Parts: sequence; C-alpha cells; structure tokens
Amino acid sequence: MGKLDGKVACITGGTRSIGRAMADAFIAQGAKVVVNGRDEAKGQQCLDEMGAGDNAAFYAGDASKQSVVEGLVDFTIEKYGQLDICCLNSGGVLNTAPVFMMTDEEWELEVNWNLNHVFWGMRRALQHMIPRESGRIIVTSSVEGKLGKPGIPGYAATKHAVNGLVKAAAREVGTLGITVNAILPGLIETDIVRATGPDSAVAMGFDGYDALIAAFSSEAAIKRPNKVEEVAAVAVLMASDAARNMTGCMFPVDGGTMPY
Amino acid sequence: MGELDGRVACITGGTRGIGLGIAKAFLAEGALVVVNGRDASKAERTLAELNAGDRVHYIAGDVKQREACEAIVDGTVAHFGRIDILVANAGGASGHAPIVDLTDEAMQDSLVWNFWHTFWTMRRAFHHMIPQQYGRVMCVSSLEGKVGKPGISIYVAAKHAINGLTKSAAHEVGTMGITVNALCPGAIETDIMMAEGPPAAASMGMDYQGLLNMFAQESSIKRLNEVEDVAAVATLLASEAGAGITGSLISIDGGTAPY
Repeated sequence: MGKLDGKVACITGGTRSIGRAMADAFIAQGAKVVVNGRDEAKGQQCLDEMGAGDNAAFYAGDASKQSVVEGLVDFTIEKYGQLDICCLNSGGVLNTAPVFMMTDEEWELEVNWNLNHVFWGMRRALQHMIPRESGRIIVTSSVEGKLGKPGIPGYAATKHAVNGLVKAAAREVGTLGITVNAILPGLIETDIVRATGPDSAVAMGFDGYDALIAAFSSEAAIKRPNKVEEVAAVAVLMASDAARNMTGCMFPVDGGTMPY
Repeated sequence: MGELDGRVACITGGTRGIGLGIAKAFLAEGALVVVNGRDASKAERTLAELNAGDRVHYIAGDVKQREACEAIVDGTVAHFGRIDILVANAGGASGHAPIVDLTDEAMQDSLVWNFWHTFWTMRRAFHHMIPQQYGRVMCVSSLEGKVGKPGISIYVAAKHAINGLTKSAAHEVGTMGITVNALCPGAIETDIMMAEGPPAAASMGMDYQGLLNMFAQESSIKRLNEVEDVAAVATLLASEAGAGITGSLISIDGGTAPY
C-alpha cells in the first residue's frame, strides 16, 4: 500500500533531476504521473526508464509558455480523470548577468520560466481542485528564494516571488482541502546546474564551475550539495494525506544553509 | 520494510501528546523506541497503547533535572545499544503573565523545561552520536519559536532559544552524519495544552476557547493542528532522505508562521 494510491500528479520539468526523482517517488507510492519536458526524445527515454506502463505519461512542451503549462494540467485531467498533485518544478538560472547589464528580454524569459509558469500552472490546477475541495500544489523554489547572490538577480527575484505566491495561495484555499507549499533546495548538481553552472560561475565571480559548487557547499552545514532524493521525499510527504495540515510552508532541503 | 528499521529513538515526554504520536509513527516504521515521562502510571497506559512488546521501553525521569536528561539518553544506549534519533519533545510552560508581572520562577521554570532540557539531552546524545558519525536530533519547538504573542513570553522566549540552539548545533555536527532540526507546530490540543492553555489564555486576556479560536483563525486552514502532522515530518527527518535536511525550523502550523 502506497502513500499516494489512486492519486494523480503532474510535474513540470519532470523528465530529469528533481522532477524525475519526484516522479519516481510518486509512482513508487502508487500515484499516476504525467511528466513534462521540452524534449520528446528525453520524454520517451524517461518513460522507458520509469517502466510504469499506464501509470506514467509524457507531455511535451516548454514550461515557460502559458499554453504548455495549462495544457499539461488539462492533459493530465483528461488522461487520468483528475489532478490531485500539481508539482511546478521546472526552472533554473537562465541568464547570468548583474542587474545593470540585464536586458528586458532576458529578464522576461527568467520571469516566464520561474514565476509565471508557477502562476499559470497553479491557477489552472486550482480551478480544477477548488470544486473538488482536494489538492496539493508543490512548488520547487530554492534557497535563493530566501537569500540572493550576485550575478543571478532574475533567479533570486523570481524564487522570492514564488514564495510569496505560495504563501498567499495557501491562505486563499486553506479551508478547501488544498495545500500549497514550497520546497527550498540548496544546490543540487542537476543536469540544469551542470549545463548552466559554468556560465553562472563566471557571472558570479567564481573561478569556474568547481569553485561555484565548493562555495555553495561551504555555506551548508553538511558541506556538500543536496540530492534529488532528499527533495523527492519531502514532495511525497507534502503530497500525502499525512500533510493535510501543512500549508504555506517553505520547507528547506538545503543542508543547513538558510538563516531562517 | 520500514523506513527506520533497526534505528533507536529516544523521545522525551513520549507518553502523551506529540511525543506519543511520534513514538507510534517511529514504531510503525520499524524503529526501537524509548519513551520518557514523569508518571509511571501514565507510562503503563502508554506502553499498553503502543503494544510494541520489547521494541518500546520506558525510562522514567523529570526532564527539568539535568541528571534525569542524561540518564534518559544513557539509558537508551544501555537498553538498545545505541541512540540514532533524539526527539527533545517534552515542554510546556506554567505561571504565564505579562512581562511586567512575570516572576523569575516562571521564566526559570519554562527555560529549564523547554530549553535546558533540550540542551542537556542534545549534548549527551552528541557524545554518543559523534563517535558513530550518525544521528538525527529533533527539537520540538513551536510556531511560538518563530513569532511572539503577548502574555506568554516565557514560552516564546524558550522556544526561540531552542531554534537558535538548533541552528548552531546543525553547523557544529553537519559533516558528521548528524542532523539537527526544529519542528515548529501550531497549536495542538494535547493534554499539556488543555492543562496550560486556560492560564495562558487568562494571561492573554481571553478564555481557553478564545485562545484556540485565535490560533485557528490566524492559520490558513482555520483549525488546529494534530499530533500526526508532526509525527509525519519527524519520520521524514529521521529517515535516510533526511540526511540533507538540517538546521531547519520546519513549520507544521497550517500556514500560520510568516517564514
């Protein structure tokens, strides 16, 4: 018997890293999951690796586009008849530049990916969840949702904004059987971080990717990056019935990095 | 197969309320559990309710005494051979009053009951956990460890102190396989709440029902929390997945605390 038997989840950015770990953990607990990602081939590979048969599906598209995020929610409901758990997980550092050098276009891309995607997905999911008086919204935020580092202003600002959105939404639907929570991971060496980390490191003034990893690790009490499984375990808890009274929570998975 | 198979846990104030809820959850996941309490007759009831045979063991002791705190931790190691998980859960406060009228004794008692007991058990547990390079310490703090209400400063101050201790401790043992976290529940109608709630309410200028209503209304869920809410988070922190979560002040308050 799983903790999520009969539940249906969708996950933006679900084919790799944190989202993928959530998908694997949800399926292991009995849920059906739709994972989203940009790349059709990676999506198919993800489904093959998960080996969950009819309990998993892939929805292709760029999560920084409104039509894709809303399409994912609608597709999930159409495919599995309901949506219980909406994980708005996609995101990352898209542009690394100090504020004074950032263009409007770069800023907008960052806002669309990390903030608007969460709003669009949450709004669409709540429209389905409120009449059912049941649901879980789980947003992958970041330690940078409470801190802020030079060179990644778009990421820090959008993750802060996401935390505010989560708190406000939690209060709106608190009596409707719906919880809205954020997970705030510390640095994790995901595919995204490996891809964008070298550029981020330069923009943030580090001497290369390894120095960036070392700097983030040194901030943590555990002196190492976090792991995707650690985030997934928290997502399972938030998705489960046991967490029905936990909402508006900024749950750190950061090895003791954030001061509050 | 449980998430805590073979792990040994020690829970102060484990015969009732939140501590009992955590004990049940840990046992369900395969842990061996020591519950502590002051009252042997209550303990008998608790052991009967837990019905876990020799997987659960009771150690009597008043956590307001340092010797008792250390004996509870050492007794866990003596009985089950080690200590993997410490839940410093006992606590409460009596003698509430606005600060202008507050006695030294009331402040002292609350600090000893909540804060010193947490420090004494944590320090002793570290003596065992550091050599084994493994441990999970959970301090049962409170929403009031993050915010403050008038009239209950003895409780608010002690719980804030616990949160500070948690953060420092997490950094001290962060590379030793030991995590230290604080659980910050909203109001739960435990036995302690029923006993201490009415005088606390009076100190805040309201009656007990008014106090409960106030806690419910300031949350997002507009109701109180339950011991099972806390137990579920404690289980996660105690599990392998909890290895990367430390120094955290985790709100389990139905969306009340602002951070």
